Amino acid sequence: MTTRHNEEDQMNKEDILPGKSSRRSFLKGLAITAAASSAALVTGGCALDSLPQSKEELGLKWQEYFQDNYRLMTQAEKDQTVERLTRLAKLEDNRDLNISSQGPREQVLFGYAFNISRCEGFMDCVEACVQENNLDRQAKTQYIRIFEMEPGKLDPSTGDGSYFHEVPVADKFYMGVQCFHCENAPCIKACPVKATWREPDGIVVVDYNWCIGCRYCMAACPYYGRRFNWGKPVVPEDEITRRQHYLGNRKRMKGVMEKCTFCIQRTRQGKLPACVEACPTGSRVFGNLLDPDSEIRFVLKNKKVFRYKEELGTDPKFWYFID
Amino acid sequence: MNNSSGKGLAAFMADCSRWAFTGSTSYKIFLLVLVAIIGTGLWTYSHQFRDGLIVTGMSDIVSWGLYISNFTFFVGVAAAAVMLILPAYVFKDADFHEVVIIGEGVAVGALVMCLLFITVDMGGPLRLWHIIPGLGLFNWPSSILTWDVLVLNGYLALNVLVPLYILYCHYNNRKPVGWRYRPFIFLSIFWAVSIHMVTAFLYEGLPARPFWNNPLLGPRFLASAFAAGPAVIMMVIIIIKENTTFAIDPIIFKKLKRIIIVSAVINLLMLFSEIFKEFYTFTHHSLSAQYLFFGLDGRNALVPWIWTAISLNICGTLLFAFGPQTYKPRYLMAAAIALFTGIWIEKGFGLIVPGFIPSPLGEVVDYSASGIEILITLGIMATGILIVTLLLKPALQILTRFKEFNKGKAIEYP
Amino acid sequence: MKISCALAALVLLSLGAPHQSSWAGEAGVIDRIMAATAPFDNNQIEATHILPNQTVWAKELFQGGEFKVLARKQYMERYRCSSCHNNDHKMLATDGAVLTHGDIKMNHGQGDNNLTCMQCHHPQDRDTLVNKQGDKIDFDHSYQLCGQCHFRQKRDWLGGAHGKRVKYWAGERVIRNCTTCHPPHAPKFAKRMPATYSLPLKK
Repeated sequence: MTTRHNEEDQMNKEDILPGKSSRRSFLKGLAITAAASSAALVTGGCALDSLPQSKEELGLKWQEYFQDNYRLMTQAEKDQTVERLTRLAKLEDNRDLNISSQGPREQVLFGYAFNISRCEGFMDCVEACVQENNLDRQAKTQYIRIFEMEPGKLDPSTGDGSYFHEVPVADKFYMGVQCFHCENAPCIKACPVKATWREPDGIVVVDYNWCIGCRYCMAACPYYGRRFNWGKPVVPEDEITRRQHYLGNRKRMKGVMEKCTFCIQRTRQGKLPACVEACPTGSRVFGNLLDPDSEIRFVLKNKKVFRYKEELGTDPKFWYFID
Repeated sequence: MNNSSGKGLAAFMADCSRWAFTGSTSYKIFLLVLVAIIGTGLWTYSHQFRDGLIVTGMSDIVSWGLYISNFTFFVGVAAAAVMLILPAYVFKDADFHEVVIIGEGVAVGALVMCLLFITVDMGGPLRLWHIIPGLGLFNWPSSILTWDVLVLNGYLALNVLVPLYILYCHYNNRKPVGWRYRPFIFLSIFWAVSIHMVTAFLYEGLPARPFWNNPLLGPRFLASAFAAGPAVIMMVIIIIKENTTFAIDPIIFKKLKRIIIVSAVINLLMLFSEIFKEFYTFTHHSLSAQYLFFGLDGRNALVPWIWTAISLNICGTLLFAFGPQTYKPRYLMAAAIALFTGIWIEKGFGLIVPGFIPSPLGEVVDYSASGIEILITLGIMATGILIVTLLLKPALQILTRFKEFNKGKAIEYP
Repeated sequence: MKISCALAALVLLSLGAPHQSSWAGEAGVIDRIMAATAPFDNNQIEATHILPNQTVWAKELFQGGEFKVLARKQYMERYRCSSCHNNDHKMLATDGAVLTHGDIKMNHGQGDNNLTCMQCHHPQDRDTLVNKQGDKIDFDHSYQLCGQCHFRQKRDWLGGAHGKRVKYWAGERVIRNCTTCHPPHAPKFAKRMPATYSLPLKK
């Protein structure tokens, strides 16, 4: 299995970049020859958001505009990119951030299970997710949806996803839906620029700086797992989670796609995702699918599980189970 | 004009632009109006560029709206040029040969509109260089969107270069050399079908959206395109006939009409087949159709539109099919507008929007385009019309000159 | 012609074949998961080495061996119980209800069969609990008591399908005790308003 993993990674690298260096040099040439016009374009574009206050900021923004797809970067380039982001956050918003570019670990494949007979619909998970992932408070973006389900039905689309009353209601049950991190994700297949991909530890991520905002992935997702920044996201300064990851909860721009990342900034450090930690009923189980002793493996082995819309062949890593 | 054998490309371009912008006062006013609408569109777009797509009526649930709807429809219009090229070049139809350039001009205009609709729909238009093959990362062949980028731009190139070559030869009173452009003509015939099939595959290939995930979608795209496209071309020909001295044989109308009727009837047949499938056995997957035709959960924003569209569709088809044999321009114009509008609604937001409703999690929301969206759309449409006008004006002038030059000689079509 | 056919087939294949994984009917992620049998080295993630303060080694094993549970005694307000309940002070149950434990509303049991104090608390040694056999049970290991009736939950809890881990998915396994989540005298979760709501609200 390890070999397959490695092969896959290598294949990814090779198949995503034919002639990387030639593109580099071309970019360089482009940068020099078309500097004036592009500079006007870039600064024009950024100026509408916030005018670069200093030469340094302008330079960093310039570099950021031409930065490569994250997956193609070497670790050194990733570190440099993250450093630039940290510096820009300081310059632009006077914000001290701790942004990570930590990679996946060998022998780790994240998986998730949701106990539909335990969930009582308190939605603490949704709130924790919003806080942890710096989700847009203005548009009220949420990665997790909880559906109040009628007895006799098992499809979230028949439930009520916008209830707001005392829970749990007798004779109803609750079902959470979020990104299922499909192994065979339709969104990855759809993206025209490879701005979204599955990391070796199974997390489907988005490079916000590479996404062009065409929203084809959104149309392709059968689970409503992706969210778009229709406007500039707003997060109150004192509520910002400052421990961030490049592929996770860092600042998003307007016009890019975002989604649940299994809290990559937490889980790559061994922590549980915010939703799992917040759940008061223990309905959420998270862990390493490749570890036979893990809780998630216990659930898969001992419980009767099912996956949502399995017939679509998406192979999600998110199981529902019943006590 | 006299020593017509060796005029260079520069002179050709200069003459073309001169001819494009000279004309009667009403022609100039027409151009000015178009420019004004484009200006308004640009100004509105600057707002969207600054604030993001939040100024549109789209949401996380209905994530494509008016822009992509129009994109889808105008791909069909662009593809329909093949309905003139095919008879003109494959069946050596002399009458179609006269107007094939009009079809190609309309195709160019429609393609530019398509590309603009895609561009304004982007969340990060400045990052669009990421999709340029070689420069960015091109997810080909996996992403159908990359196929669409290829086929649309390829078709645009074909439809610009081939007529440009032929016109340039005519400009120099030369006959175009067959082997230099005929391969591209045949290529463009296949290409025309491919642009619309690929655009259909864009939707058809998504199991997430049962309303689109339907093998009939591609063929139906073609049928509706071959009805609506020639209808547009007919409108343009009528306008040219009424407003210019360019001679158009009435037989063209008869032939175009025939194409339109056949396609429109096939389109209606397929529509009926789809409606039957959705409602005879009402499944979970029929909810989008339910929303479109009758409303769902008390939401029914599209219901009046789709019934208008179907009525116009049937009306237009009947007008063409059972009309008197006189080919009065006004009558044909009415029929063409009815059919065009019907298909535009049905294949535009009548197809795109219900694909998103209900959401994959069963939520029903309405979508209505915002004012900004409508103004930008109008601006793009005006751009398309302006391009068609500015292309056809000099093109027809060149053709007229060529015909006069060769008066008395029998013109042999390659 | 042959070449173009082959090319077309190739393109279709590369289109249809998801290049990273499998599709329905093929070997999917589940096969890959089930084939992984070597235990993961949980100690490799250094960030997880700082454990939550109050933990004790559980007296049972889970599929991966030993594990820890959150301690209980430190969080009990009136522990040690024997400071009152000892032979020097004879405490009457009725006095206790009025003076000290009036806040306890018993709601544990099916219907009218509410449990009584002495079904779980040791009648002599109040610093411990007692099981049906009369064995003393430590407050930190209440799962040994609860599991007498709730044996299904206990089995799930041991394996990881009931209850939850504390803070980390990796590292030393620390899980919540029964009483971390369920107040023992009224273990059912109280009804309350959700923490937030989702758009679009139905009108």
